[in-house]
Amino acid sequence: MKIIRPLIFTILGIIVAVFLVLGSHQKNLVVRPGVTVVEYWEKWTGPEEAQMQVIVDDFNNTVGRDKGIYVHYMSMTDIDQKTLISIAAGVPPDVAGTWDTQIAQYAALGAVEPLDDLAAAHGINEDYYLPVYWRGCHYDGHLYALVSTPGVVALLYNKQLFAACAAQLRAAGLDPDTPPKTLKEFDRYAEVFDEKSPDGQLRRMGYLPMQSWYVPQLSFWFGGDIFDPVRRRLTLDSPATLHAYQWIQSYSKRLGGQSLLNFQNSLGNIFDSPQNPFLTGNLVMEQQGPWMANYIHHLKPSMSQVLCPTSEEWKLPDRRANYAWGVAPFPSAVPGLENVSYNPFDALMIPAGARHKKEAFEFIAYVNRQDVAEKLCTMHCKNCQLRHVSDAFLKHHPNPYIAVFQELAASPNAKCVPVCPIWPEVYKELIDTGQAVTLGEDPATAVRLAQQRMQERYNRFLTMERRRESLGIN
Amino acid sequence: MTQDERQNFFKGMAFLSPWIVGFAVFTAIPIGLSLYYSFCDYSLTVERRAPLWIGLDNYRQLIHDTLFWKSLANTLYYAAMALPAGLLVSLGLALMLNANIRGQSVYRTIIFLPSLVPAIASAMVWLWMYNTQFGLFNYLLGKLHLPPVGWLGERMAMPSLALMSVWGVGNTVIIYLAGLQDVPRELLEAAEIDGAGPWRRMFSVTLPFLTPVIFFNLVMGIIGTFSVFTVPYIMTQGGPNNATYFFTYFNYDEAFKFLHMGYASAIAWIQLVITLALTAIAFWTAKKWVHYG
Repeated sequence: MKIIRPLIFTILGIIVAVFLVLGSHQKNLVVRPGVTVVEYWEKWTGPEEAQMQVIVDDFNNTVGRDKGIYVHYMSMTDIDQKTLISIAAGVPPDVAGTWDTQIAQYAALGAVEPLDDLAAAHGINEDYYLPVYWRGCHYDGHLYALVSTPGVVALLYNKQLFAACAAQLRAAGLDPDTPPKTLKEFDRYAEVFDEKSPDGQLRRMGYLPMQSWYVPQLSFWFGGDIFDPVRRRLTLDSPATLHAYQWIQSYSKRLGGQSLLNFQNSLGNIFDSPQNPFLTGNLVMEQQGPWMANYIHHLKPSMSQVLCPTSEEWKLPDRRANYAWGVAPFPSAVPGLENVSYNPFDALMIPAGARHKKEAFEFIAYVNRQDVAEKLCTMHCKNCQLRHVSDAFLKHHPNPYIAVFQELAASPNAKCVPVCPIWPEVYKELIDTGQAVTLGEDPATAVRLAQQRMQERYNRFLTMERRRESLGIN
Repeated sequence: MTQDERQNFFKGMAFLSPWIVGFAVFTAIPIGLSLYYSFCDYSLTVERRAPLWIGLDNYRQLIHDTLFWKSLANTLYYAAMALPAGLLVSLGLALMLNANIRGQSVYRTIIFLPSLVPAIASAMVWLWMYNTQFGLFNYLLGKLHLPPVGWLGERMAMPSLALMSVWGVGNTVIIYLAGLQDVPRELLEAAEIDGAGPWRRMFSVTLPFLTPVIFFNLVMGIIGTFSVFTVPYIMTQGGPNNATYFFTYFNYDEAFKFLHMGYASAIAWIQLVITLALTAIAFWTAKKWVHYG
């Protein structure tokens, strides 16, 4: 007995020591002497992470090797918060792959480096970029980010369900072979597809406004805007925004607010799943981006190979015929206002305090080289942020409608995220407003209150900035 | 202090020092800083943007913030449902599990199991059970020829979350069970000999002896309900129409989404004061209903 106890403790001690030694063992990054290691944090996980890894490897094996730069790529969740904390701690990465929504917020707080000079030195300017993305990368006249992959929001519709409901559509005076062109027409299409189960619950909807990821940006399709940076004023109570929320409410007035929310609740939060309502046919039309083609192909392949397997669709006269879904510009409420689009994007920024800015920008510039951008956007199934794209990009892209998306991004009516430093707050407020009007609140009152609350917050931000400026702590 | 005592004192402090340093660095200093930040405009970014002293501005703004009142009302509403429900259900289960029945350990395990499931996993499961079209609850209602309910709709979302909280009472049940072991058997036997029935024995002997445990669970429950975050974050994102926007969720948004660290610190201190006030009320009433020994 005297031996057993010390023996057990010795064994336990050895196990703990082994775990500590192995646990603390990090894979050392071996680079040639004189090579600068650029730390790159990115938000993507899964296939998108692996696809970016291809680009990073390409860089390390070509430009990076020639210029003595090695990009160390790390994927992580909650990248916005981790980046911010690392900036505060003084140990940020050299490149942070965040979202467009963070650019103005971080730039206003001095958390990211301006890139004007570095971009100019690499010949990246507004002639090279699509204007909408170029605008979105700026805050207060300075460039703070470049795009890694862009997006465009368009109308996705289920061609099979259009065909299945052809008789009803024709009876309503609508063409089942073409998507709606105006918002009024869109509403009439949507109404035809609405279907209730015997217990009165909605089973299928033509369109569900609150299901859209882009409710806060809806006023773009009504000819409005959300933020006026020149007058430093939010415009949440503009006639266009009011009209947008009245439009949202028209759906709940027709079908019942609670009924709509019940339907939305029944769909669950299942975008990346075969139960996605667009794939199950519970939702016939929606606002989505070009990446949806990848999800459809992986989650419901039958919708992407109606006539033949995808690998053989190049033989078809029109490869779009192989798809059970179609894409068109989301119709505008304003006559004559065409090709309206919202263009969100993934951004690459250099956090304040980064140790290797010049080398970090070499990588950012590489990602924005036309051939590299096209390669990454093809893998991610997205459009391209550049003005000029090759014919091969349009022809061999996994999304057969990529030309529609590319055209929408190039449209003069293409809009980017409002370059408002308090955008995350405004975004939440507009989502809340959408839910409130869906549940019956008067849209005029709702947008007035939203405007009042957000303008107060923005004014407070401006006051604090002025005080900081006067004290020299901005 | 003799030399031996002094030596012992320093030895003791040396052994304590890892904890003291840890407490100071990870708890005491952050708490002190958060109090300071609550009087500042602060965004947790670069060093040159030091906290800007703004006095009581954050607290003044809170008073006029509709979301502050909404989240406070929501949290109190939730506490008013979840706290008594949790206490009563766990007490009832503990009393049942304390009875000398066959398979007692199996029942105890079954009751305790949900407490071991991570909050995110249980939230996902409940999300599907509450699903309007495919959920278990509406399926059962359908079998009874009753209309489906929008469990996570504006009116029902909060009661649904409170109902869900009862699912994880296993830990509380264990504490009650431990408390039940301390009820003197001789008193129960004496009461039985005096002709007291099971209900009488429970109300006159068992419950009075359990009041310190009930009180402990009440205080822990008050603190717990004011820290609810994960479940609404996963299940409802605070909606619909902010119907499940809890105080901690409000704090999280201000701190990490909107980057108002100073304002969020003020919210945290208000949260602490409210929790302390409610706990103090519980302690004050305890004199009248908690019996020790």
